[in-house]
Formats: sequence, C-alpha cells, structure tokens
Amino acid sequence: MSWPVFFLIPIALMAFVAGQLFLKHAMESSAAKGFRDAQVISFLGCGIFSMTIHFFVTLGLLGHLDLSYVYPFQGLSVIIISLAAAVVLREKLNLRLTLGALFISVGIVLVSLS
Amino acid sequence: MRDRPSGFTNPWFQLGFGVVCVLVYELLQKRGASETANLSEVWSWTGITALVSPLVWLAMALMIISLVSWLYVLRYIPLSIAFPLSRAVDVLIPLSCWAILGENISSRRWCGIALVVIGLMLTAKPVAQLEEKL
Repeated sequence: MSWPVFFLIPIALMAFVAGQLFLKHAMESSAAKGFRDAQVISFLGCGIFSMTIHFFVTLGLLGHLDLSYVYPFQGLSVIIISLAAAVVLREKLNLRLTLGALFISVGIVLVSLS
Repeated sequence: MRDRPSGFTNPWFQLGFGVVCVLVYELLQKRGASETANLSEVWSWTGITALVSPLVWLAMALMIISLVSWLYVLRYIPLSIAFPLSRAVDVLIPLSCWAILGENISSRRWCGIALVVIGLMLTAKPVAQLEEKL
C-alpha cells in the first residue's frame, strides 16, 4: 500500500460528499426558481465539478486497487451525508434513519476492511 | 416529499434504475482502469491514462445517465433518505465482483454486507409505511 492511497481516498470522499450536497441544494432550488436561475446553475456547476474530481481520483485508485476495496470507503459518506443533510439542508433526521445510515456505514467499512 | 409522478418517472423507480447504472459503470470502470494501469507509472494514479479504454468511456456514459436519474430523484426525495437507500449498490458491487470478476468475499465482508442490508431495511421501512398511507 503506497502513500497516494491514504492521500487520495479522503480527497475522493470529500469531493463526493460536497458534490451530493451541492446537487441536492441545486435541485431543491430548481423546483422554485427553474434551471435558468444563476444560483441553481452555480450550485449545479459546483456539484458536477466536485463529482468530476471524485470520478478521476477514483479512476486513479482503481487502476491499482480492487474495486471491492476502493469503493466501500464511500460507505463513510452515508453517515456524513445524512448528518450534513440535517445540518446544512435542514432535513428531518429521526433515530431510525440515523441508525440505518450508521448500520450502512459500518457495514460498508467492514466490507472495505476485509 | 412532494407529489410524485408514476411509472418510469416515479422517483423510486428512478432510484432503482440509478443503482443498476452505478453497478454496471463501476464494473466497467474497474475493468478499464485495470487494463490501462501500467501505461504510465506516474499518470496512472490520476486516472487520465484510463481514458484510452473504451470501457471507461462506456462507464462515463452510464455515469451521466445515472447522474441525470439521481438529479431527478433528488428533486422529490430527501437526501437523508435517498442517499442511504442508493447504497444498495455497496452490497451489489462486492457480490458482482465475486460473481463476475472472481474476487473473494471473506466472512468479515459477508458480515458487512449483512449490516448494510439491515441498515437499508431500517431506512426503507418508514418510507414504505409513508407510501402505504398515500
């Protein structure tokens, strides 16, 4: 295992989480403002840019590691995105949804550690 | 969740369709990236060298389709529900790698898959109850 793995996996994860939040915010705004609104376009652009970074960094990792090893690291994004959606997007997050997200995250991390 | 269309445009259907697209593009991406990993010692870590593989381009096309489908889903379903449910793909990918790419699944990995399934059920149950009321 070489140093780029420890450096690139967190970058891919952060880009993915940021991308999802930008895209959700853009789609929420588009329902009221339409797709020609400057704010909607800028959020969509930021989301697609973040997801593009995630795509290329993941491609680089996949060239050297098993897919079943690299991909499950995104499992951490489940609990991060659920909490971020509650804080940033003000979505309702009850105990069952939190537990569900936690189980999925732990499960995916377990898969990745195998 | 606001009023939802039915049929192909139903956001729950689109969520499942998107999961299948992601599953296929991840498998294509892996195969394409592996085939091109040794083209350049330095640049292969950036993923740029993988662009010479047609499988990666096919994966990118599927990625765009899944992105459009996902954007549609986000318009109707809260992120804190849609995103955990979309991670069904994290169970399907190891299983597909095992079945198609011949990768191993250890007992710990099976436990992880079971936890993901429990998490998906916990997340999906209130959604199913909500759908029944509508």
